[in-house]
Amino acid sequence: MTEENSPPVLHAEGLTKRYGKRVALDHCDLRIPRGRVIGLVGPNGAGKSTLLQLACGLITPTAGTLRVLGARPAADAAHLARVGYVAQDTPVYAGLTVGDHLRMGARLNPSWDPALAARRVDQVGLHRSQRAGRLSGGQRAQLALTIAAAKRPELLILDEPAAALDPLARDGFLHHLMEFVGELGASALLSSHLLGDVARICDHLVVLAAGRVQLAGDVTDLLAQHGWLAVPRGARDRLPAGVEPVRREPAGPDDRCLVRIAPGAGPLPGPVRPVRLEELVLAYLSRAAGAPAGPVTPLGVRR
Amino acid sequence: MTWLTWRQFRASALAGLAGLTLLAAYLVHLGLAVRRDHDAYLSRCHSGGDCGRALAQFLGEYQNTLLYLAGLLALVPAALGMFWGAPLVARELEAGTHRLVWNQSVTRTRWFTVKLLVVGLAAMAVAGLASALLTWAASPVDRLAGDRFSTIVFGARNLAPVAYAAFAFSLGTVIGLLVRRTLPAMALTAVAFAIVQFVLPNVVRPHLMPPVTVSRPMTAAAINEARGLGSITGAPVVKGLSVPDAWVSDVSELLTADGRPLATDRFDRCFQDPPATGATGTFGDAAVCLGGLDLHVVLSYQPNHRYWMFQFLESGIYLTLSGLLAGFGRWQVRRRVT
Repeated sequence: MTEENSPPVLHAEGLTKRYGKRVALDHCDLRIPRGRVIGLVGPNGAGKSTLLQLACGLITPTAGTLRVLGARPAADAAHLARVGYVAQDTPVYAGLTVGDHLRMGARLNPSWDPALAARRVDQVGLHRSQRAGRLSGGQRAQLALTIAAAKRPELLILDEPAAALDPLARDGFLHHLMEFVGELGASALLSSHLLGDVARICDHLVVLAAGRVQLAGDVTDLLAQHGWLAVPRGARDRLPAGVEPVRREPAGPDDRCLVRIAPGAGPLPGPVRPVRLEELVLAYLSRAAGAPAGPVTPLGVRR
Repeated sequence: MTWLTWRQFRASALAGLAGLTLLAAYLVHLGLAVRRDHDAYLSRCHSGGDCGRALAQFLGEYQNTLLYLAGLLALVPAALGMFWGAPLVARELEAGTHRLVWNQSVTRTRWFTVKLLVVGLAAMAVAGLASALLTWAASPVDRLAGDRFSTIVFGARNLAPVAYAAFAFSLGTVIGLLVRRTLPAMALTAVAFAIVQFVLPNVVRPHLMPPVTVSRPMTAAAINEARGLGSITGAPVVKGLSVPDAWVSDVSELLTADGRPLATDRFDRCFQDPPATGATGTFGDAAVCLGGLDLHVVLSYQPNHRYWMFQFLESGIYLTLSGLLAGFGRWQVRRRVT
């Protein structure tokens, strides 16, 4: 199957999840093609974990539909085998050893790759006789990732995989993750609020805030569609058609405005400077937090 | 899945096995001693001794111990429900490991079914073995005492303990699934199981089959056979009447010839201040006084030949309840728990 006619990795239509009265996800529409490393970013409470848990079938939607690899998440054992998931707190069985976990993986997954599991465990310095309960947070995350990856899924879902790690461990973890994804030829969907990590490893981006999708697309497309434009103060309304301001901030005598430029937009009033991914994400998050043109709103703070 | 279930269950299985081994060793020892004394009783009886006294001595030697053991065996299913059932799912939910295991290539329902079956069958085997050994150890006493149908002994012999264990285990599992925390689930399991174990034998069991009723005249001699007279509320009752080869499940109040309950003041007059006749017997003058009132009681009883029918019926009820709980748990795991 080619990428074009195979079903998307993730296809959400009107996806909604409510916990009692609290709305975690609100009518999300998403369509993510295969073969990407997808970064899911957003402030705390944006609904990232909810979306990932829906994607691996741990929870079910309140409304709307979600199809992962063309089927309902966790539809049956065969579908479970195609999706690997590592939860945010990287749970492992405290009483079982590292070796026991590998045996568990081998027995519960028909597509288990023992060579890959063995190599990875050695690579990250885990010993088979170690009890999982005695591992550090980073080692536990590595073990959980190994179990999820060695079943050779088509989609690997990671919820804040590097959150518990120190900078050095995180660097190593992301490095291994990229190796993995390359080796498996799989898609990966990972959430993070560390924009640097996302910028480093993801080629597709989904920005989630307040339970809604703010921005989604391949990173190269997104960077090409956005740019900084110098705009005289107070001249925002005079932007040409097809040019949408996302964020505005003072820069010297003028304002600089981050704009989204639709294909075929009218002539621009000045040169466009490229935008960095972090700036882009922050701009959309600030706008979602209700500060469309104001000063920088720190990530994670919402009105 | 069976391997993982076994690997997780190994430690508690070994603890259970250790307990079972201790109990089994004691029961074998007891069974041998019971048989030795049984032979001694028979030889004393056959060599022209006092059979009645030898029998009373033999029974007296063991009946208390066996009663304690019946109590202990009643605790075995409760312990299995608490220590094997309640943590089965609750511990996974508590530690978050369900999010690890539910994302292996095994559906949740299969995960639940295998866990429930493997550990549940182990629980039934433990209870079954303990019950078989106690049934064997006690059989000479039971045969002579003829009380294996009585409320406490009934639940500690043959099939019933196996069904209790199945029920306690699935009850613990489902409570753990709903409560999601191990310790509260264990406590709740103990309480819920105790309530069921009180209600079923006392309220439901007597009516599993319609009891046989018989009217027995309460002559002075009949009253003196009873174990007690009157109750704490002052009702005119006779306690501890027995029917040969039967489990007496209910005894009516003392009834007058026209079938109405004896008036309390008439009972009290005989009970507290009977005319002196110099009669002997357990209740002396009171028995003579009451015997003169032309009273009778209605006894409801289950004849002993229904014993196995009752074992099957009661086990069937508990196993059906276990099956319903297991089905409910399966549905919960698939639909509700996240």
